[in-house]
Amino acid sequence: MHHIYCPYCEEMREEEEYSYTGEAHIERPKDPAAISDEAWANYIFFRSNPRGIHHEMWYHAAGCRRYFNATRDTQSYKVHETYKMGEMPSITAQTLAVANLSEKGGAS
Amino acid sequence: MSPNLPQINRLATGGRIDRSKPMSFTFNGKTYQGFEGDTLASAMLANGVGVVGRSFKYSRARGILGHGAEEPNALMQLHKGKETIPNPRATQVELFDGLTATSTNGWPSAEFDLMSLMGKIGGKMMPPGFYYKTFMAPQKMWMTYEKLIRKAAGFGKLSLEADPDTYDKINAHCDVMVVGAGPAGLAAALEAGRSGKRVIIVDEQNEFGGTLLASTQTVDGIDAATWAEQATSQLEGMANVLVMPRTTAFGYYDHNFVVALERRTDHIGPVAKTGTRQRLHRIRAHQVILATGAIERPLVFGNNDLPGIMLSNSVSTYINRYAVVPGQRCVIMTTNDSGYQTALDIQGAGRTVVAVVDSRQTPNGRLVEAAKAAGIQVMAGHGVIEAQGSKKVMGAIVAPLDEAGDKVIGAGKTLSCDLIAVAGGWSPVVHLSCHTGSRPVWKDDVAGFVPGPSIQNQHLAGAVTGEYLLSEALNAGIQAGATASGTTSAQIFDCGDESIGVSQALYLVPHTKPISRAPKQFVDFQNDVTAAGIELAAREGFQSIEHVKRYTAMGFGTDQGKTGNINGMAIVAKTMNKSIAETGTTIFRPAYTPVTFGAIGGRDVGELLDPARHTAMHPWHLANGAEFENVGQWKRPWYFPQAGETMQQTLNRECLAVRNSVGILDASTLGKIDIQGKDAREFLNRVYTNAWSKLAPGKCRYGLMLKEDGMIFDDGVTACLSDNHFLMTTTSGGAAAVLGWLELWHQTEWPEMEVYFTSVTDQWATCSFAGPNSRKVLEKLCTDVDLSAEAMKFMDWREGTVAGIKARIFRISFTGELSFEVNVPADQGHYMWKKLMEAGEEFGITPYGTESMHVLRAEKGFIIAGQDTDGSMTPYDCLMGWAVGKTKEFSFLGERSFSRPDTARTDRKQLVGLKPKDPTVVIPEGAQIVMDPNQPIPMDMMGHVTSSYWSECLGHGIAMGTVKGGSDRMGETVYCPLADGRVLAAQICSPVFYDPKGDHHND
Amino acid sequence: MTNFDTSNMESPLHHRVAHTNAANAGVVMKEDKFRGQLNLRGNPQDVAFTSAVESVLGVALPMAPSSSARNGDTVVYWLCPNEWLLIVASGTQGQVEADLRTAMEGQHIAVTDISSGQTLVNLSGTGVAELMQKSTVYDCHESNFPVGKVVQTTFAKTGTTMCKLEDGSFDLVIRRSFSDYFFLWLQDASDEYGLSVS
Repeated sequence: MHHIYCPYCEEMREEEEYSYTGEAHIERPKDPAAISDEAWANYIFFRSNPRGIHHEMWYHAAGCRRYFNATRDTQSYKVHETYKMGEMPSITAQTLAVANLSEKGGAS
Repeated sequence: MSPNLPQINRLATGGRIDRSKPMSFTFNGKTYQGFEGDTLASAMLANGVGVVGRSFKYSRARGILGHGAEEPNALMQLHKGKETIPNPRATQVELFDGLTATSTNGWPSAEFDLMSLMGKIGGKMMPPGFYYKTFMAPQKMWMTYEKLIRKAAGFGKLSLEADPDTYDKINAHCDVMVVGAGPAGLAAALEAGRSGKRVIIVDEQNEFGGTLLASTQTVDGIDAATWAEQATSQLEGMANVLVMPRTTAFGYYDHNFVVALERRTDHIGPVAKTGTRQRLHRIRAHQVILATGAIERPLVFGNNDLPGIMLSNSVSTYINRYAVVPGQRCVIMTTNDSGYQTALDIQGAGRTVVAVVDSRQTPNGRLVEAAKAAGIQVMAGHGVIEAQGSKKVMGAIVAPLDEAGDKVIGAGKTLSCDLIAVAGGWSPVVHLSCHTGSRPVWKDDVAGFVPGPSIQNQHLAGAVTGEYLLSEALNAGIQAGATASGTTSAQIFDCGDESIGVSQALYLVPHTKPISRAPKQFVDFQNDVTAAGIELAAREGFQSIEHVKRYTAMGFGTDQGKTGNINGMAIVAKTMNKSIAETGTTIFRPAYTPVTFGAIGGRDVGELLDPARHTAMHPWHLANGAEFENVGQWKRPWYFPQAGETMQQTLNRECLAVRNSVGILDASTLGKIDIQGKDAREFLNRVYTNAWSKLAPGKCRYGLMLKEDGMIFDDGVTACLSDNHFLMTTTSGGAAAVLGWLELWHQTEWPEMEVYFTSVTDQWATCSFAGPNSRKVLEKLCTDVDLSAEAMKFMDWREGTVAGIKARIFRISFTGELSFEVNVPADQGHYMWKKLMEAGEEFGITPYGTESMHVLRAEKGFIIAGQDTDGSMTPYDCLMGWAVGKTKEFSFLGERSFSRPDTARTDRKQLVGLKPKDPTVVIPEGAQIVMDPNQPIPMDMMGHVTSSYWSECLGHGIAMGTVKGGSDRMGETVYCPLADGRVLAAQICSPVFYDPKGDHHND
Repeated sequence: MTNFDTSNMESPLHHRVAHTNAANAGVVMKEDKFRGQLNLRGNPQDVAFTSAVESVLGVALPMAPSSSARNGDTVVYWLCPNEWLLIVASGTQGQVEADLRTAMEGQHIAVTDISSGQTLVNLSGTGVAELMQKSTVYDCHESNFPVGKVVQTTFAKTGTTMCKLEDGSFDLVIRRSFSDYFFLWLQDASDEYGLSVS
């Protein structure tokens, strides 16, 4: 049972209030007619399925009815951050890798 | 009633039982007596009950092994009839007067068991993997095999009657959750409680204290049990602390979510019960302290499953807590100092300690010296290699072992005894820490797994970390409580327990014979897994511990291998010449102990299983005999039968009323979304397939909504209320999804658009009435709107006063007849409905339900999104290209997908009308469609029937269905082969069966 | 409003009025029938919008998440950063809506009358805290849910917008179509405390 911070309600809420709504930062092509079938198929059908850091959309369905984004670890279920629509994540697989490296470097 | 037998093993004094409150109970039909404060197990042992059940596979006699959740053998069937409860452990059943228990297995009885004969013969024939090897094929026979095996071996039985008990759930929140109220947990809760934090502490037992309740030690000079009582009452006195005994935290889930089962009435039995039997607590904790303790391990030796062989610590617990000594002459087999405490306890109870058999060559330490000083014989460097007896222990064969404990190095001798107490070391209760995905870590110095690193806000205290001294547990508890509360404490407890001697890591006591030839050496008692079986599994190539588990069934019982798993892993490791750290452990999953399904269901049963949504007119429907249909969560009138009517007769009457005069339908359940803003119109352009730019105020339009893959997702009529204000309707089941869909696009892709959406589904009650007389009905109630065909055209809407109520009147039709929908605020919906019924009386206005609505719309070829479409149908597949705007500026949702090669195929399944060749036939919905009924199976499937009804007005059956390339097959004959052997023929036709030119609704 | 005619109206819980099963009930339910309820949308950063609303309601829109504001019979709940629920005296919702539209003429706003679509229920009594624990996943402890806080969350298998009042009771907004389910649940969950409906 996840416990997730709603960036609009500004507090932790129970998973029951939310719906998961898929991968975040999938942008609709500006001119669908101009792109190839393959590019369109990529947009509508193909999603990443990483083990580890994943940016995803959640919907506060039983709460404020806002969509927002979360950076979540698909393995540990740790929610690293949630952020409002239109914002970019501050934590990514890359920033975490760098942080881990410097942590190890510091320890040795 | 038979006279009570004497409690032969009960001590005259001591223990935490109340001798002034005797209680009668029966076990397997015999009546016994115990006392308040007993468990069923302690009361059975007090009465000398040895055999409590038969084993799963070999049907061997089994006795009580432990004293708590770890117990693998003493599974009971409690109570009778519908009250019966299968499989609780006798060690965790609190005794009450009148309790009735039987063994769960053993047929015809546990004492005399026919199946043991089969066990003796069949033992060799039932190696590990027996089920896989024997019952793999033919697969369909498995059910038969399983029934036989269950009858022979099976566990408890459920009552087939409805459970008379109720269960419920409650949500709880706290700063600090403490699991376990032994010394560590109590200390942690005290410290956290003093900090003022919100604390919840749970323990599975009726009384807080854990090992303190059976300890002979002191805490800061106070008797351990007394200290526990004082600590508990201190906690109970704190307003910020919730104290929950009889509550098992059985699952520890993500983000510090703990689920605990509280047993509220089990200890008073099935009589005179009020409230719920069990309550499931769903606890969200900021910090969790696991003070779950440790479970003593048995040792694996020949015939180690005989009744009378018990865990050493359990023997001490029975003596000190329950004043029960489960034997007269005791041999103690130990690999560590724990066994010596038991020896002292037995001697203190006035019974005979035959010897302490210690696998260590040179045991020392405080307890060893104390035992020697008490005159107890210590046999160092020895092991009990085999127990003797049939249904109870008669003796122990003791032999000298080498230093590593690998080999017997001398002749054995037999010690006569009726109790063997076994102390094989301790296994920390890592179960809960595993539930969130943390892998336990093997520690050589502990000779056990301890919880591994966790990403939860989790703290550990006490024996769960492998620190077994009482003072260590208390001090760790204080520190965990302080850390979890964000405070500090320097409190130190004094228990006078100097360090004890080093334990030997011994799991399987060697026999003079090799494992495969020695008498059965049991590892997992509940599933009858032996050392030989595990060794065989390893030799057969099962190298992963997870595979060994599944192959042998080790740890698969209701006890989840609490006593057996570590021993089994040690044997696997040794067989493969690896360390236990290298072979690793299996992961424990919830539930720690079994949980009643009733508790998981809680109150979400019966009419509370799923919310039933009602419209404002629901009372009228109930009063007028409606049969109801579930549409999403709505209860909609399905049809309104009159006395003596069959359902079909009702439908025929209702449909004809609409076609010939007027019928009325409650359409309040349609989703309604109020859309405001200067970009509302453009937003509709983007989410609907058709054009909205020119829809004027006062007009309505039907729209199709697609997902981006081009498939129909929802449909409905949207009205233009004013230039910047629209009212959208959705399907009854799709309202929430459509609102979420609109918000998704607005919030993520087009936030710059000035538009707001508000659900008004519940705000408006909708009376839809249709038929040639519908205008006349409305004209009686509404005088401020010109309702004439010229003034108010099909797909117009007007604001007006109906029966004195300000209403929105829509001239739209889902029946093909002249039709109006009157929307009024729902508070007045019931009133409006009644006024319309009154006004329509002279025309025989007929209420109709969803089934007639379906027939009427199918006669007109109108689709129902979700019935005729299934998420794989484009508008073109539904022959609804007319609803797709071809010249819209913005590429609306789904448009781009029309030109994808798969979507553009001409041989896609298309929705067509189907006219049965036999006019009296109604083809079943869901029937498969083929072109050639004589084609051998597998036939080429062309599609299926999506809607099918009897049309009273047309006098024949009508249907819609999907057919590959159907739009090019008009007039062709298709066939529906049915499961009953009939093959129904139908002709492909236009789905519009009735009034194809639309004259009626334009009237 | 004294001349508000409700004779042809039925509130969502109108048929539960007479129900009572305990003399000293631990849970007391009271439906505050026919209150005017308006859903308001607008840009909280737009001073023209906020001042227009304040001029009509006589109270400033609450801007902090989960907060509320009161002015006599008028209560305003924060629902999300650009959405509020206005609860006004029975029968005044039409006038309030019209006044708001006038005051906010030309702005990007939405006002929607939802008075009939939901009802206001007050729950009080010694058993109400535990009842709420059974019914909602939200932590209603005073440390987390103080007086005046407004939270939209689950209530059993439906949803609610709830507010804690000074007297420790809870005001719950319940959707009309779920009100029968709500009452069934309430009746069941309050069984051990006793339920009285006033």
